[in-house]
Amino acid sequence: MKKKRTFGEWARSQDGQKLFVIVTFMIVPLVLLFVFTYLPFGEMFGYSFFNMKYTGARKYVGLKNYLKVFQRDDCFKALKLSLYYMVGSVIQLGLALYLATVLSFKVKAGGLFKGLMFFPYLINGIAIGFIFKFFYTRGFVFDTVLQWCGFELENLPYWLKDQSINNWSLVGTSVWRYFGQNMVLFIGAIMSVDNDLYEAAMLDGANNFQQFKYIILPSIKTIITLNVILSITGSLSAFEPPYVITSGANGTGTYFVVMHEIAHTQQKVGLASAMAIVLLTIILAATGLQKLFFKYVWRED
Amino acid sequence: MKKKITALVLASAMVVSLVACGNADQSAPAASTDSAPAAEESTDAAADTDADVNEEAPAQAGDLAYTTLNLDDYKDFSASIKYIHHKTDREEDGTIAAMIAEFNKDFPNITVTTEAVTDYAEDSLLRLTTGDWGDIMHIPAVDKSDLATYFMPLDTLDNLSSQLNFVSSWSYDGLCYGIPYMANAQGVLYNKKVFQDAGITTLPKTPDEFLDDLQLIKDNTDAIPLYTNYAAGWTMGAWDAYVGIVSNGDDTYMNQKLVHTANPFADPGDGSGAYNVYRILYDACAKGLIEDDYTTTDWEGCKGMLNRGEIGTMVLGSWAYAQMQEAGDTPENVGYMPFPMTVGGVQYVAAGGDYNYGINANASDENKTAALIFVKWMTEKSDWCYNEGGYTVVKGGKNPDMYAAFDGCTVLSDQDAIDGEADYLNQMNSESELSINAGGNDKVQKIVEAGATGSQDFASIMDEWNQKWSDAQEELGIEVLY
Repeated sequence: MKKKRTFGEWARSQDGQKLFVIVTFMIVPLVLLFVFTYLPFGEMFGYSFFNMKYTGARKYVGLKNYLKVFQRDDCFKALKLSLYYMVGSVIQLGLALYLATVLSFKVKAGGLFKGLMFFPYLINGIAIGFIFKFFYTRGFVFDTVLQWCGFELENLPYWLKDQSINNWSLVGTSVWRYFGQNMVLFIGAIMSVDNDLYEAAMLDGANNFQQFKYIILPSIKTIITLNVILSITGSLSAFEPPYVITSGANGTGTYFVVMHEIAHTQQKVGLASAMAIVLLTIILAATGLQKLFFKYVWRED
Repeated sequence: MKKKITALVLASAMVVSLVACGNADQSAPAASTDSAPAAEESTDAAADTDADVNEEAPAQAGDLAYTTLNLDDYKDFSASIKYIHHKTDREEDGTIAAMIAEFNKDFPNITVTTEAVTDYAEDSLLRLTTGDWGDIMHIPAVDKSDLATYFMPLDTLDNLSSQLNFVSSWSYDGLCYGIPYMANAQGVLYNKKVFQDAGITTLPKTPDEFLDDLQLIKDNTDAIPLYTNYAAGWTMGAWDAYVGIVSNGDDTYMNQKLVHTANPFADPGDGSGAYNVYRILYDACAKGLIEDDYTTTDWEGCKGMLNRGEIGTMVLGSWAYAQMQEAGDTPENVGYMPFPMTVGGVQYVAAGGDYNYGINANASDENKTAALIFVKWMTEKSDWCYNEGGYTVVKGGKNPDMYAAFDGCTVLSDQDAIDGEADYLNQMNSESELSINAGGNDKVQKIVEAGATGSQDFASIMDEWNQKWSDAQEELGIEVLY
């Protein structure tokens, strides 16, 4: 029969030591994660059942806030704007993948190009907003550049005023900011492909496109999946470009901007919390669908 | 064994440091209390002000009160207080520092540290809930019933209003919690030279005259007739300021009647009312009398443009006047006129306090005393209000020249809400999401969009607003009386 160990003995045994080490290492990050992520989230989930402001009394209203999210015409209309950003993210990923493939082969001044294209990602999002506010101003940077190319100012649209294109202008800033980062991730993945495979392919007479299709693409499918999921999620929660450049006015208010307005100007904290929970559900659903989609696309034939 | 002890020490060190972080905030105010010598004059004040104000007779403000505080008695008082405010521009150009230096000539032992907060309306509310934000702040949009939780009563409303103007906006149950640092009389900024060049000889008195004048500016000069400042967003909220007294000549309208009014945005048919205030903006946009690309304008840039005569008019409170004058070489051309609306033959002007000084209810006794000394000195001795071009807060104080055009108008200031209904307007603003005079900028931006693109006609916008207002009245159970 196994002898019953005292606590001291157990603590000195390998089992005890293992547990002790695990707990010591995990406790700090777990406490931080709990205190700064899950606890506030739990609080917010609680708020979503109340009719409340930041200060003052709160009133329990059950699911009424959630009903309002679905009844209000501004919440889901705002979600439609995400489609612009989703189209943008497809363009962004395509561009990133193309440039990554080109740059992962020997290119003159490749490092410089990588650096220049990655650079926008390093700039603060608010600063980018201000840059583009002036960039799109009538007769300023963008118009001047286009005039060099032979366009007449009278024929150019108002990039932020015209409601049929202002969302595309904003999406453009987002693509400009993030494609460099996607590209660097793709390059990293492409670099990890064994060089022997290219050599073998070349001996077999494969051209560049075939190399891309049959060697690179299958090798980096995990990172592509990840980037697509992150971009689509990001599209659903687009905030910085519309908030800084147009302050959400003129038909550019995305779901997040509307939520911000409701939470901070109208101070309907409960409703805004409910909006956040609904968005979270949508994002989870979208992520799940994409996983299924990629499972189908990448399936072994 | 050794490793285990190291691990334990490490782990406990981490835990301790985490706990220490939590404690640091609380120990700071305690330390400052110790370092400042106890003030004999104000030892009882805390007990009184801490007690629930509602239980006391409504006209008691504790021993510490604005009107009975004699500044000369406190020349040697020492304390160190913190003042947070929204005037980032005045913090940067040293105006605040200069005033505090002046203050310290009288009160050398009171140290005042200041902090200007950008995005004040939101940040200050968040800070307020933490409790230890400092001693004096410009009171943000809190519910009046919560005033006593956060702020110290400065005096009774009766006492204070015998000496100061515009003190009723942050009063509750007969006690006053805030004193405006300056006051604004709401009108319209214009460039005198542009008006002259356009051939406008008399200032417009009705919306239609105003729109005709804007057209004259467009036809006869190169200036932009009406600059909306749409892109800045917050500047659009200025249009709400004329819903009160200006559009109907009734000083009880904004705080008492509006919440009980059925369809406040309906057209009264005589060129007055909130309907016609916003119609000016819509029509100006529809007729192309505003800036070409309103989505990319720059707030800082517009100041110089008005000064130089590139802009004809801007609808902003009087606080903007001084900034427009400073922004260029022709300050003499910057003018201020009453809002172009006449009600029953009279042009009304709404005047009221800007942000109010409020004193932290949770501050220590000596800090409260020092804060009140500072507030009183700022109000009566600093000339800040006058220098900003403000309408005088101290009764009988001097008014700047800019108000010359207001002669012949009736100047009124909004009456306080009826007892027990103090929160109604805040609640209605929040529930209806129109936020009138409470940061409802996006609704005014939508008028510009609709006017400029013709996507929606004006009457249907007003119908929507009326609908939102009635829905909110129903939701909150507020009776419709008018």
